[in-house]
Amino acid sequence: MDEVLNIQGLTKSYGKSRGVIDLNLTVERGEVFGYLGPNGAGKTTTIRVLLNFIRPTHGQVTIFGMNIRQKSRQVRKNIGYLPGEVRLYEKLTGAEFLQYVGHLRNGVNWQYVEELAERLQCNLSRRIRSLSHGNKKKLGLIQAFMHKPELIILDEPTAGLDPLMQQEFYRLINESKASGCTVLLSSHNMPEVERVCDRVGLIREGRLITVENIDDLKTRALRQIEIYFAASVPRESFSGIPGVRNVILENNVLRCTVTGTLDPLIKTIAQYEVVNLISHEPNLEEIFLSYYSGGENHAV
Amino acid sequence: MLCNVLWRTLQDRRRSLLAWGLGITALTSLMMVFYPSIRDAGHIIEEYIEAMPEELMGLFGGQSVDYSSIEGFLNTELFFFMAPLLFLIFAIGFGSSAIAGEEEQGTLDLLLSTPLPRWRAVLEKFGALIISVFVLGFVFWTILVLGILAVDADINLGRLTGAVFSVTVLGITYGTLALAVGCARGKRAQGLAVASVFGIYGYLLNALAPMIDWLEPFRILSPFYYFISADPLINGLNLFHTVVLLGLTIVFLTIAVTVFERRDLAV
Repeated sequence: MDEVLNIQGLTKSYGKSRGVIDLNLTVERGEVFGYLGPNGAGKTTTIRVLLNFIRPTHGQVTIFGMNIRQKSRQVRKNIGYLPGEVRLYEKLTGAEFLQYVGHLRNGVNWQYVEELAERLQCNLSRRIRSLSHGNKKKLGLIQAFMHKPELIILDEPTAGLDPLMQQEFYRLINESKASGCTVLLSSHNMPEVERVCDRVGLIREGRLITVENIDDLKTRALRQIEIYFAASVPRESFSGIPGVRNVILENNVLRCTVTGTLDPLIKTIAQYEVVNLISHEPNLEEIFLSYYSGGENHAV
Repeated sequence: MLCNVLWRTLQDRRRSLLAWGLGITALTSLMMVFYPSIRDAGHIIEEYIEAMPEELMGLFGGQSVDYSSIEGFLNTELFFFMAPLLFLIFAIGFGSSAIAGEEEQGTLDLLLSTPLPRWRAVLEKFGALIISVFVLGFVFWTILVLGILAVDADINLGRLTGAVFSVTVLGITYGTLALAVGCARGKRAQGLAVASVFGIYGYLLNALAPMIDWLEPFRILSPFYYFISADPLINGLNLFHTVVLLGLTIVFLTIAVTVFERRDLAV
């Protein structure tokens, strides 16, 4: 019974547009699972199936060991959910809105709500209509956490949050995890997923391409590095360094891609005077690329 | 669990309800202010109306025009056309936005991510619809009674209540149709459109059928027939006709719950 979420052969097809295709996934209790993919890949579709907003075309989904269609109500009791696009009752104040949702959940600990509001610096007495996008997101987060659910499902949780609040959000995730809560969060932002998740599933065009431990993925992640030297450096020094590819050297600037650890490259450049070093965050496309190239290597 | 969704919906709608209450108050008071002079000049107006084409009269004032009694006056001026029009617009607007409005605004996701079952959301919205239309009916009734007292007319209070009840139930029937279409399609405009079109057809069918022979047998298909044809203001509330309207409402409500339970929600 350590399996909180079990998805078997889930297919959801809409008329013409793609949903998800034959998706299999399990998430264990206490795990923070990152659901990573570009926009329109099927992340939101999957999440909406879990909440019983839409019905699967094929496949079985259980949460807490219960079928999500037959036992949707019991399942939802223990789920906290943040929609990708937070749209709230504009006429209400934040406090009125949270009270309303709290009542629908048969009451919540209001002290905890206020604590969350304080941590996220969310003013509950203002009308929702007058709130910025980020502040609405905070209200969405509070209502997802306030009843201390066993499973928290967050669709693009940090989009629109300012960096300081993102940090607070990461702390919230870590605390929830420490208290045994399971988290499923979707994102198209690799650094965020790296930061908080234990495992990550890569989804693209409706198919779950792979599920990896975040550590394994990191070692395979492709990074683009730019190094600015004080003087010209010999081209030969940079051939044959493990993991370093696509070396371009022009006007004292070295550009290359690195897979895995940066250490061999750093050791090599240390003998010259380095003015600047820029490491670009790997974007999703690069991660997918590295996954495919990694896959090939495994096959050989 | 208390009826949170019901009360929330009523709170959200209280301004709209107030506006409609004021509107119906204004219309009804205006009619009552004119009543004494129309009553005194009744035969002149009746002659004038007699001269109009029968079809035109039947379309907006019913078959019999009788300005000499308060019942006849109220029937022609309010109950046949204006009152059902206002009650239908209000109830259809309410019903079409009840579920579909939240779906379009995107708040339905959050509402249904709580343990609230879908059928319960529909029933509570329906409850809010009933209460709102009845409040409007009560306002209508109150202003009518005050107006009748003010012009010193004589009317059977029980039959007046029956007539107001009848128009209230008609409003609820069409409001529930709009709710059902909204539940099925998730689009407020579709609920509005379908219920309005059925409203217009229902009205025309009931109004024109007595004058057009081939249409006559179909008159019983119009909900308006069950609302007005038994003339509750003069004959008292027709129990069978009221039950037909209530039965139709229950059919629409059942459809609303059933299709909404099975449907994919829009993003």
